[in-house]
Amino acid sequence: MELVGEEKRIQALFSELRLADEQSVPSFAAVWNRAQSRTYRPQRAFNLSFVAATALLVCALVSLALWSRQWQRKGDALVSVPSVPSASPTQVVTVRQDVKPPTPIQWTYSHKSRALKLAARRQSLLLAANRKAEREAKAIASWESPTASLLDSPSDELLKTLPQLNRTVDELKSFLPSSPK
Amino acid sequence: MDIAELKAELETLHSASFGWALICCRRDRAQAEEVLQTVYLKILEGKACFRGESSLKTWLFAVIRKTAISEHRKNLLRKLRWADSSEQATTLVSQLEQPGVAFEKSEARALFQNALKSLPRRQREALHLVFYQDLSLNEAAEVMGISIGSARQHYDRGKKRLRESLGQTESAYGIGWRGKENPGAV
Repeated sequence: MELVGEEKRIQALFSELRLADEQSVPSFAAVWNRAQSRTYRPQRAFNLSFVAATALLVCALVSLALWSRQWQRKGDALVSVPSVPSASPTQVVTVRQDVKPPTPIQWTYSHKSRALKLAARRQSLLLAANRKAEREAKAIASWESPTASLLDSPSDELLKTLPQLNRTVDELKSFLPSSPK
Repeated sequence: MDIAELKAELETLHSASFGWALICCRRDRAQAEEVLQTVYLKILEGKACFRGESSLKTWLFAVIRKTAISEHRKNLLRKLRWADSSEQATTLVSQLEQPGVAFEKSEARALFQNALKSLPRRQREALHLVFYQDLSLNEAAEVMGISIGSARQHYDRGKKRLRESLGQTESAYGIGWRGKENPGAV
């Protein structure tokens, strides 16, 4: 590369800089040996961020497992509530008694147990719906109009009762309209 | 090339490598040494592997440059994390303002170094590779990982800016800067 003018000047300045740098270059052996020793240094067994991420993941998984288990128990408790025998004929849905709710001991994470859990959940929902319908039917049966008391009269008793056949004539006469005096 | 052979080659290039590492680390000696050590470590571990696609010097310089950039980024992150950037910045400024460190003996050299530091990274690198390492622009482009056209632009702009910067300081000292442009030099 042919240099003129300012380039020569820059070259001279760079050469001067290079000379100064060469005086303070660390020895190759020292740098190389340090690098070599770093290769034999045992790697840190764990990374801090990796450990934090793993701990977070484990916490999340444990809490999820606990939550799901609690939820399942709640569902089971609902199923185990005995159904109230209803006296009224307003039972809308009949509960299938052939499906047995799973006991806690039998809980496994297999397909079978999952099916049982689903059946139990469905049964609990049916029971809840049944109870609600029963309540509603009772409420309808006992309903009374707010103006019903206005329809009451003193002769209600006479109108609502019937004369009995085995009564005496005198008693029967009391039912007859009073004769003109 | 086996490791013993490579070691011998690296030893011959060690001085030039350190000079290049210094430029890549904004003339921070400790950091340059650390970068060079990391580069040797990469070579020893086989993370940086010379395949003979270019000359050993350009390959080594490219590795040094990339390592210096990644180390610089790591340092920046560390600074942000520990929020001691203000402290670091003041030390950097003081280094720039006080060129009287051990190896900077002449005033002209100190001025030149400050002028060089004020250049953008790519311009500084292009000038260093051409004038300090005696590489051609083609080789410099290879080291910097850019096209020859870009390398030429950085080189020309760097030269112009350096001239302006030196001209300003020298006029302040009453020294004239007279030089001719040689467009066909490279």
